[in-house]
Amino acid sequence: MPAKRIIPCLDVKQGRVVKGVQFKQLRDLGHPVDLARRYDAEGADELVFLDITASLENRGTREAWVRDVARELSIPFTVGGGVSSVADARSLLRSGADKVGINTAAALRPALVSELADAFGRQCVVAAVDVKRDPDLGWRVYLKGGGEPTERSALEWLWELNELGAGEILLTSMDRDGTGDGFDCELLELAAELPIPLIASGGAGLEVHFLEALEHGADAVLAATLFHEGILPIPRLKAYLAQNDISVRI
Amino acid sequence: MSQAPITLIDYDAGNLASLEGALDRLGLAYRRAASPDEAAESGPIILPGVGHFEAAQKSLRERGWWRLLPGLVAEGRPLLGICLGLQLLAEGSEEAPRSTGLGLLPGIVRRLGPGVKVPHMGWSRVRQHHAHPALPDPHGGWLYFVHSYALEPTVNTIYVADHGRPFTAIEARGMVMGFQPHPEKSGPAGLLLLQSTLAWMGATAPTPEATCN
Repeated sequence: MPAKRIIPCLDVKQGRVVKGVQFKQLRDLGHPVDLARRYDAEGADELVFLDITASLENRGTREAWVRDVARELSIPFTVGGGVSSVADARSLLRSGADKVGINTAAALRPALVSELADAFGRQCVVAAVDVKRDPDLGWRVYLKGGGEPTERSALEWLWELNELGAGEILLTSMDRDGTGDGFDCELLELAAELPIPLIASGGAGLEVHFLEALEHGADAVLAATLFHEGILPIPRLKAYLAQNDISVRI
Repeated sequence: MSQAPITLIDYDAGNLASLEGALDRLGLAYRRAASPDEAAESGPIILPGVGHFEAAQKSLRERGWWRLLPGLVAEGRPLLGICLGLQLLAEGSEEAPRSTGLGLLPGIVRRLGPGVKVPHMGWSRVRQHHAHPALPDPHGGWLYFVHSYALEPTVNTIYVADHGRPFTAIEARGMVMGFQPHPEKSGPAGLLLLQSTLAWMGATAPTPEATCN
């Protein structure tokens, strides 16, 4: 079994890493390369960059920072946000990203997942899925950053993504996201039955939450604020997980 | 002493940005070569690679590398295959049963599993299988892997890793080496591995433009 991975997630807007405060004010945290270096040195196993303003006009900006990050970083990284075609993905991969994240575009046109897997191999395709608990569906899939409900059941969609050719699932519980109350372990346990790696996201607040998610079958855990703010340094988290018999790269 | 840069084979099947970044950090001179005409006259050649065995093979054939590489190796030219690059150096792969590999490393590449998640993606420990002058015992160090197929360990295997079963992480025969993990994605341990290997293969740091004293 590979080591369980610790993944900081960085939101990027127009080539800068930002932190959203109540959706409106965005605080500038620095250039992607500076944060990439910092997390590389801290012992992160992988990074996820989410380009929150991805659009055609910004493509050049994005290629530039992705290339800079690729040259500086000694660990793998995923770039997501606005990827809706093989051409979008090719531009990111050619610039040096290891994997591309897809979300809304995959839900709107599931064949995109297969096209990406055929073109680049499924290991390059990270399917991001945002879900909320739901009385009818168990967990319901939401699109566009959580703003738009769909009629899809999360678990059915995850299995479909696997069939289509996703190489990895990045599963965010919107109920837990930003709460610091812990990951949705019930959801993780069900999703962990998939034959592809599972990244747990949404709800990390304490060291023990990471342990719980990994014990419930996640292959990797993702968080943003805890790491960005230095509330939980990665070396401390890894030491804690290692003490609890979780295999981590130290 | 040879001052030839490392030749990086550029055939649309590798993540060259990361590899170039790693070589820059090591202070090693390199040159991208889309066709053999662009290769340095001596010095190590790196064959990177991600994607499908057959597509990569086709691309190498079209660019003239496939025909040329065995001859270069026979002349003693060092060659390092990374990830799919390693697999292409083998005799063949279950991923492309109708094709053959370059046959520069023995063995057939086989699919991982069953019973484990495939692709094998992430950090795994490697351990020594046979000693090699360029590579110290890794003592269970972590390297980053992304692959669905692997070589089985042989007498030429230097490091092994486990994913359901033991498989070849690093293979060497003469001046031909293959890395299944991505050293350019494996943090400080990967950089060290790349440095030791390329130094052993005779890579040199860039020549200073001018020397004082």
